[in-house]
Amino acid sequence: MRESSRRTKRKIRWSKLYTFSCFRPPNADPDPIKSLIGRPGFSRVVFCNKPHLHRMKPHKYPTNYVSTTKYNVVTFLPRSLFEQFRRVANLYFLLAAVLSLTSLSPFTPPSLIIPLVFVVGISMLKEAVEDWHRFLQDIQMFDEATCQSVRARTSNLNEELGQVSIILSDKTGTLTCNQMEFRKCSIAGVSYGGDLNEVDLAASHRMNSDMVACSPNLKNLKIPDAHREYSIKGFNFRDDRLMDGRWTCNSNVYDITMFFRVMALCHTGIPIEDDQADKLKFEAESPEEVAFLITSQELGFQFCKRTQSVMVLKELDPDLGGIVKREYKLLNLLEFSSSRKRMSVIVSTEDGQIFLLCKGADSIIFERLADNGRSYQEATSLHLSCYAEDGFRTLAFAYRRVERADYEHWNSIFMKAKTTVGPERDELLESASEMIEKDMILLGVAAVEDKLQKGIWLLTGDKKETAINIGFACSLLRQDMRQFHLSSVMDSGCSNQSEVILVAKKALVSQIKSFSQEINEEHNKHMPFALVVDGQALEIGLRSDVKDQFLQLAVECASVICCRVSPKQKALITRLVKEFTGKTTLAIGDGANDVGMIQEADIGVGISGLEGMQAVMASDFSLPQFRFLERLLMVHGHWCYNRISKMILYFIYKNIVFGLTLFFYEFYTSFSGQVLYDDWYMTAFNVLLTSLPVISLGVLEQDVPSDVCHQFPALYKQGQRGICFSWKRIIGWILNGAVASLIIFLSTIHALSTVAFLGKGKVADIAHLGTITYTCVIWTVNCQIALIISHFTWIQHLFIWGSILLWYIFLLAYGALPPSYSHTGFQVLTEAIGGAPSFWIITLLVVVASLLPYFIYMVLQRTFYPLDDHVIQEMKHCKKDIFDKPMWLREQQNSKRTTQVGFSARVDVKIHHLKEAIQQRRESIYNPTQRCPSPVAFWSLLSLLGKLVQTQGTAHELDHPPT
Amino acid sequence: MSSTAVPSSSGAPGSAEASAVRRNSKRPKYSKFTQQELPACKPILTPRWVISAFMLVSIVFIPIGVASLFASRDVVEIIDRYDHECIPVANRSKELQYIQTPGPRPSCIRTLTVPKRMKQPIYVYYQLDNFYQNHRRYVKSRSDQQLRDNSSADEVSDCKPEDSTSNGSIVPCGLIAWSLFNDTYGFSINNAPLNVNKKGISWKSDREHKFGKDVYPKNFQSGGLIGGAKLDSSIPLSEQEDLIVWMRTAALPTFRKLYGKIEQDLEENQVINVTLGNNYNTYSFNGKKKLVLSTTSWLGGKNDFLGIAYLTVGGLCFFLAMAFTIVYLVKPRQLGDPSYLSWNRNPSWQ
Repeated sequence: MRESSRRTKRKIRWSKLYTFSCFRPPNADPDPIKSLIGRPGFSRVVFCNKPHLHRMKPHKYPTNYVSTTKYNVVTFLPRSLFEQFRRVANLYFLLAAVLSLTSLSPFTPPSLIIPLVFVVGISMLKEAVEDWHRFLQDIQMFDEATCQSVRARTSNLNEELGQVSIILSDKTGTLTCNQMEFRKCSIAGVSYGGDLNEVDLAASHRMNSDMVACSPNLKNLKIPDAHREYSIKGFNFRDDRLMDGRWTCNSNVYDITMFFRVMALCHTGIPIEDDQADKLKFEAESPEEVAFLITSQELGFQFCKRTQSVMVLKELDPDLGGIVKREYKLLNLLEFSSSRKRMSVIVSTEDGQIFLLCKGADSIIFERLADNGRSYQEATSLHLSCYAEDGFRTLAFAYRRVERADYEHWNSIFMKAKTTVGPERDELLESASEMIEKDMILLGVAAVEDKLQKGIWLLTGDKKETAINIGFACSLLRQDMRQFHLSSVMDSGCSNQSEVILVAKKALVSQIKSFSQEINEEHNKHMPFALVVDGQALEIGLRSDVKDQFLQLAVECASVICCRVSPKQKALITRLVKEFTGKTTLAIGDGANDVGMIQEADIGVGISGLEGMQAVMASDFSLPQFRFLERLLMVHGHWCYNRISKMILYFIYKNIVFGLTLFFYEFYTSFSGQVLYDDWYMTAFNVLLTSLPVISLGVLEQDVPSDVCHQFPALYKQGQRGICFSWKRIIGWILNGAVASLIIFLSTIHALSTVAFLGKGKVADIAHLGTITYTCVIWTVNCQIALIISHFTWIQHLFIWGSILLWYIFLLAYGALPPSYSHTGFQVLTEAIGGAPSFWIITLLVVVASLLPYFIYMVLQRTFYPLDDHVIQEMKHCKKDIFDKPMWLREQQNSKRTTQVGFSARVDVKIHHLKEAIQQRRESIYNPTQRCPSPVAFWSLLSLLGKLVQTQGTAHELDHPPT
Repeated sequence: MSSTAVPSSSGAPGSAEASAVRRNSKRPKYSKFTQQELPACKPILTPRWVISAFMLVSIVFIPIGVASLFASRDVVEIIDRYDHECIPVANRSKELQYIQTPGPRPSCIRTLTVPKRMKQPIYVYYQLDNFYQNHRRYVKSRSDQQLRDNSSADEVSDCKPEDSTSNGSIVPCGLIAWSLFNDTYGFSINNAPLNVNKKGISWKSDREHKFGKDVYPKNFQSGGLIGGAKLDSSIPLSEQEDLIVWMRTAALPTFRKLYGKIEQDLEENQVINVTLGNNYNTYSFNGKKKLVLSTTSWLGGKNDFLGIAYLTVGGLCFFLAMAFTIVYLVKPRQLGDPSYLSWNRNPSWQ
């Protein structure tokens, strides 16, 4: 395994020959980055207030102007010509065309130049059109909400869509809609809110339909799916204890008030006027802030105005029982950063009290609590783990009252830090904020659902535990997977930085080694593994000396989750994985921080969502929603791969058939270079007579319909394993072409040589032999494509049979030209071969004989070793998907078991969980040998059953234990 | 997607009306072509189709093969190689020298016996072996324009080295014309001459469109090296049918060219005397010269290849049809048998 992947890495990537890039040295190790700083092309040195320096030589930079098109009117011709002749093939033909002007060439110049001009012209036209308007229009990939459809931004990657082995995805932001929904909160140790999230919904929905399928009596019991219309975007919270101002009756009003204040004040958002009078909309840096603002507005704390130093809230005052407008002076804002993982504001109320309001990651907040502020910590932690289990993002809220004197003292330090210029500024700010963000009082936690985009299967979260849980929710991790956790704990006690790294590295290497050993053990061969890596471990793992071991481990795992990754690391991982495995990688992301990753991967997919256009600009494909990736890969990727590999193989075949007849003829002309066919036949072959069927194959071929592609994700494996375009197949097609051409050539020369070929005693000359052979070639290659195509629409029929007909029309037209133009082709069909029965008989013989080997192969393969698509085609053909529905569904399940892709897989997992839970709890209640059924267990069972009953009525379930 | 043309709507229903127009402007237009939902037939190679296809081929091919074979067997062909025998015994050790010596040579007499009754027309061919009339330099060495058109007599740039003499351009120029075959055949049966019709042995299109009626041979074979036959400079090229036939270059190094037609039936065991003028030099390259008398069938000359090939392919297909019938009877594979799916065949497959 290791050796083979090494070999892949080492060999020249011949696929890159197309653009000569295989001769370029591979990208150097990213280590000598430091020396590049300030160098052109790497970073820029900017001189403040000295713009004249920028106009001089070493710092003369191009502008930041961003162009979204490749060409403009002036550059189109030279640049597109350059693009065309940059390719080896076109350059070769250019040279051939130039040579044809000399007397050396066996061909007339126009017959070489005209096709070149044609091909180059078409490619240039295509470039221009694409530059103008790049599109791909599948209605099923159209996003109603944003009116955007999928865009293919490059045109030469389509086949790789079918071969993606490794998907690297951005974390939550990409995989979710970037719409947060406020779902649950725990205030002062009491948890509020509880609702089914999407996974629960889908799980119960699926169980619903299963139930209906197996017991038709229950149909009436089916309860409508809980697809409620959420009236407020970002707020999906139902709890009667808090809604409609009822929280004011709660005993712990003060903490609840503070909780909502933190929610309404500790943020960077601004309100936007909406046409609705009393409800505002908000804009903020992150969608979770928006969700918090909306929630607080719904619960009576409307954030209505922000000025430079004042924030205005309309509060529901429990004492006064009405709405009060309060102003809070914003004293300081301690910003959120990924390293701090918290943000705070310091505000002073109207009566002069100063509060520090803080929200942040729970672990960070818990560290900074005052001793008297931990009263709810235990209960809150419990809730927190529940929320994390459900896959929510959690934030802890805390506050602290600050004495004015303390504040003044601290503020001076903070201001000093803030005005410092230089590298130590960050450190100073950090320590300053550390000074004030302490001794806080915990209020509670809020859980927002990062609303999953439909059909996601890869996620990483901020917290490792959350990431793992979400990984489960998305079936990125499965129950039967063995998980490895790579983490490194930096011992902060040790002062020497390099020593710390050395220790950490040693620990990591030993971890990796033990994991690799476990994978390689015999009984683990077929077990799926998952790897969870945290940020620090990743940082060490990507260092050049550990890199190989780390990647070796990662590649052998079925899924890898990396938490806390920086944009640079993302790009680095992508490149390393790509280079290490040599497999096709796809990176998907939506934000500016994913650009590096998107550019580094073989295929970059950008989500034209809410986070701006940077990712889209850098991508090869842009999708309006993440869920379209499934269709993009499963349907279009599979089709494209299938089409393009078939197309290329056929293209090789047809040119071998054509070219080898010419070559064989040379044996009979003492290798003098005499050409069997007329120049114009040669020209018309690839341009006119066999091109349209290939195009129809490349555009319209579908081995299986699109819904089957979805239903049988295992079909996608064909692309990953590269079976449609393996060396075996390529050589097979080359052999097929050689055999066909041999049959064509030998048959025609033996049938025509020496003796008269028609009743009038005339014998065949070069023109006749050439025309007859050529006719056989045209028939053979066009009938061959008819054998390849499995999906005939009228277009394919028109193109294939039209091409054959076109040849005869061409021959008639060419023969009708005066002999000064048509030379040997003059009246060749009408006078000579058309009237000869032997011409038609030879054609029939040769076509059948030359297709026979392929046909026999195909029949044998289908009979004894059918591929998946063959079997599924047959199932479809016999309408087994309708008559034998259980089998059809069962095979879909089986197909997924090996792939586990998509939303449905997640739903399966959830169903599995639910059923298991029911089983366990029922056992604990009804099994008399165990302890007495406690009320708690009983209630929890009831609540769990409630979940199911809510959607399906589970009486049946109780009578017959699930198997 | 088979039937669902309308995508499942996932948008918020509240804001439908206002943005509907804007939406539809960007929404890809639905057409069966762009959505790849054109009605299609998806032929599957079912056993019945396979066997029918093989049977069909054998049913069509075997009769054609038999017919072709019969047609070929009907043709009567007399082939007589004379290049060696027509050299006087004294000169046989120095064939080349003999043929290169200018001056009249004694004609050579060959006798042919008709093996079977030959119906008219009987075609007279000369067959040359090892003569690469398809060599590229040779094929190119001609001027079609000059042959066609009297005014382009000087278009001789392609004809080197046989382009011009000191008296001007050669018509017809080039190596092909220069090497015109010049053996002559005279036939007689019992001393009664057998007439050979030399009209209509070339393609009509050549006579009418490629060789001009007002183009006369000029300076032909007047150089130092004589390649072959001379032409009567009073006859226009369009009537020089030997030249026209010769100028149609053969595709393969072994070829026949039509010499004339005998428009008279020949009876079995008749003896034909051929008075042969052996002039053409094939001795320098070990070429063979043969005289061929042949009738034709609807399929052409005597050539068993097509018949045998048809019978072979037809027979093979018949055999395959039988073989697959047996296979499907003995070990049938149910169509769409799920046990052949890759994930069912080896469950541990990754």
